[in-house]
Amino acid sequence: MTASSLSDYHQWASTPLSTKPAYSVVIPAYNEAWRVVPTIGAVATYMSSLGQPWELIIADDGSTDETAALVADLDLVNLHLLTGTPNQGKGHAVRRGMLAARGDVVLFADADQSTPIEQFEDLLGELNQGSDVVVGSRAADGSEVSNKSAARHLMSQGLKFLVTTGFQIPVSDTQCGFKLFTREAARTLFSHQVIDDFSFDLEVLFLAKKFGLQISEVPVTWIDAPGSKVDAAKVAAKFLTDLVTIRFNDIRGRYNQENHDVTKADLIEDRSIKASLDGNACNDDENSSHREPVDDGPTSYDSTVGADRTSTTKHEVKL
Amino acid sequence: MNITKSISAIEISGRFDAHEATSFRETIEQELTTSSNIRLSLAEVEFVDSTALAELVRAMKKCREQGGDLILSEVSGPVAVILELTKLDAAFTIE
Repeated sequence: MTASSLSDYHQWASTPLSTKPAYSVVIPAYNEAWRVVPTIGAVATYMSSLGQPWELIIADDGSTDETAALVADLDLVNLHLLTGTPNQGKGHAVRRGMLAARGDVVLFADADQSTPIEQFEDLLGELNQGSDVVVGSRAADGSEVSNKSAARHLMSQGLKFLVTTGFQIPVSDTQCGFKLFTREAARTLFSHQVIDDFSFDLEVLFLAKKFGLQISEVPVTWIDAPGSKVDAAKVAAKFLTDLVTIRFNDIRGRYNQENHDVTKADLIEDRSIKASLDGNACNDDENSSHREPVDDGPTSYDSTVGADRTSTTKHEVKL
Repeated sequence: MNITKSISAIEISGRFDAHEATSFRETIEQELTTSSNIRLSLAEVEFVDSTALAELVRAMKKCREQGGDLILSEVSGPVAVILELTKLDAAFTIE
């Protein structure tokens, strides 16, 4: 890390982007007051050193601790805080963040830095080879996993078996919290994704396969962060239920593309941008049903917003 | 009269998180038996989590209680930013 890298960080921290970001990083957070600030520091330093415009989105899941206040107090101009109703689920928080993201590529990363951010470029290289979705994998050849408990290891093996045999998803690790998407893939997948808890990863990859998107897998180094909130037994039970839910949703046609426009994306993006320009956090869960599109007009922050917002007036939106 | 001030030097690298906290604390306590001034090189540290920050503060207080100091040196970019964001940069002696 050089002095110029620190200078890059300070530039990013204090100067609003004048162009659309090349990269967006989305970090979901629920009661992460203890660890979110160091993660933001590490992510911001590294991403700023890449020399491309980028934005950071913290999708707070209505934390009941000081997470949102701590993030807001950092006063980083290209960090956008999305706030919400308490504990709607990780999938819900990630969806809000991914649909608000404006980067050409969008990374979803866990708040605990268990997959160090420096591996972003490994995934980006794969995306640049033509993939739509690149999954960080703890199970692929070349991965390194540290401090993983036996229970989590056993759960991972079970899930891997179920996913590969039951869903034919071509990755060995669906649940790693480090995934990279093209912007188009992110918008398509997360405007269809409906599962609000941790099984959303599987649902997103199921949808990617269903829609014919190119999925790749890159081995990553992963360190089990102390204080993990994963309860292996509960996760396994819920995951099995969600496997059935995903199949059922598919059979009922809930994932058919004609049933979804980009209404959620447009609304969230509009309101996030407005909040960012106003210097405020954006609450995505206020008045969450029967929303009408917000017509704030195009902004200098993203000139594509106005163009994308057409034909969104007939749809009920539940975020 | 010659006055000499003994400074212990410690270098850590990689990821400094809760998994490493016990080992770090034992190292500091061992060093404090011979010197109350410790220079801690952080040039090769990629990440510090909140537990690690708490350990650094604890080590600083221990050193100062004994009349010395914990000096953070060659602080890497990510660690410098994390110290800045947490406003701990003002609490430590950094060179």
